[in-house]
Amino acid sequence: MERVGIVGVPPLAVIAEINQQGHTILDLDEPQVTASIDQSAPFIPRVYCAILRTVVLNALHLKLDRIVIDVGPGKCDCALHVSEVLEDMLGIPILRTRNQDTASFGTPLCTAEIPLMEKFCRITQGVQSAAPYEPLSPCEPTCGFWGVPPRDFSLLAPFPDTTHVFGWTRCMENKTPADLELEKVVDLSIPTVFFAQSFCAKSALAKLLASKHPRAIAIDCDVTPGSSTRAKIEAFLELSGIEPKRSSN
Amino acid sequence: MILADFGTSYCKIFEPEKETEPRIVPTRSLPRDFKADLATGHNAARRSFKSINELTALARGGRSIIEEEDFVLLDCGSRDIKFVRFADGEVVDMGWNAECGASMGFTIELLATYYQIDYKSLPVPSTGFSITCGVLGMSHIFDAVVSGASEAEAVAKFVRGIALNAYRFAKEPERLYLSGGLCDNPLFVRSFPCDVIPLGRFILLEGLLSTLKET
Repeated sequence: MERVGIVGVPPLAVIAEINQQGHTILDLDEPQVTASIDQSAPFIPRVYCAILRTVVLNALHLKLDRIVIDVGPGKCDCALHVSEVLEDMLGIPILRTRNQDTASFGTPLCTAEIPLMEKFCRITQGVQSAAPYEPLSPCEPTCGFWGVPPRDFSLLAPFPDTTHVFGWTRCMENKTPADLELEKVVDLSIPTVFFAQSFCAKSALAKLLASKHPRAIAIDCDVTPGSSTRAKIEAFLELSGIEPKRSSN
Repeated sequence: MILADFGTSYCKIFEPEKETEPRIVPTRSLPRDFKADLATGHNAARRSFKSINELTALARGGRSIIEEEDFVLLDCGSRDIKFVRFADGEVVDMGWNAECGASMGFTIELLATYYQIDYKSLPVPSTGFSITCGVLGMSHIFDAVVSGASEAEAVAKFVRGIALNAYRFAKEPERLYLSGGLCDNPLFVRSFPCDVIPLGRFILLEGLLSTLKET
């Protein structure tokens, strides 16, 4: 049995094949090791997308047999360049995919009433499987979160369970990561936080969509959310009449 | 009911049932067991029964004090700066910079004490230092003094650079409402390249009062 690292959302057929072969999938976009992210610095600049820095950090520590990295319009140019770094670093096969799947898999988690952190965990885990989703009832949304899964999910802690998820995360659950039209879908009737990782090209889209939304804020965050970022989210929720969840007080 | 804005250097405390004016207490003089009913600011969560964050307090305070639908309110504290922008009576943008705005108010006060400078007597210099924060900016003062500038002139350039930095952080509005302890520093207020309306240092307390009325 092989250990296969994945980056982004590889095409469904590729995931299905890995599942059928019984290999273990490791999502390199998420922190899998407790080592300092600065250990990636000899291979990738410090001023770079924290998710791709995490990919490199994971690849350094996890014993992988191969990596499947999506480098097409469903991911980003930076992933294409990082695939070169990984190839040079590791000496294992690097399969570059360009996921342009168009079959909608559905987005039940994005609209369900579930704590937002759990929602994101389940959406990102869903990438590792080609199995159909369990049906879930959609909830009435009170808030929106648009963007990619953040490098640090603690960013999601203040949001209410009735937060609907938009942006690339919704494309991710739908297994159509290159679907720009779906990525642009927002709900103008609910206050929405538009999020992008610092240094990510998607921050331009986040800013554009936020500027056209009647009740929105655009934020970005690098490795972990600082007190300023947390305060902005908290204040935005409070001023929108939503009680943010707090870890203390 | 005790309301408190727990600043890094000074705490602003108000008991609406007992007092007509808030009082200012140096943070280091505050009894360790002092606890407010509703508070904001540094340590608010630890020192109060209920707290709201500073941006929320600033926005609510601004909305209750400023009789306009569209405005920018910038709060310059001891160690951070924050702003809210309103359009059509709603908050449409905000920012809180605890990193690059680091120690601005604290540093300005520290410099006045160290160099024995009265900011009321200093003219606004024609140029300022290009600086990113209080701490990093101090090296410009040392360099200028070594190059022959007077201490007062160098500090004035530093203050102007800090004001410009804060103005840019607030996204360069034509008119700016200013809150926080630096409202009392005429050099700082006059160093902004836009109209500035100082509101004093109790805007966050106003935000707490608004919060009380809302709940």
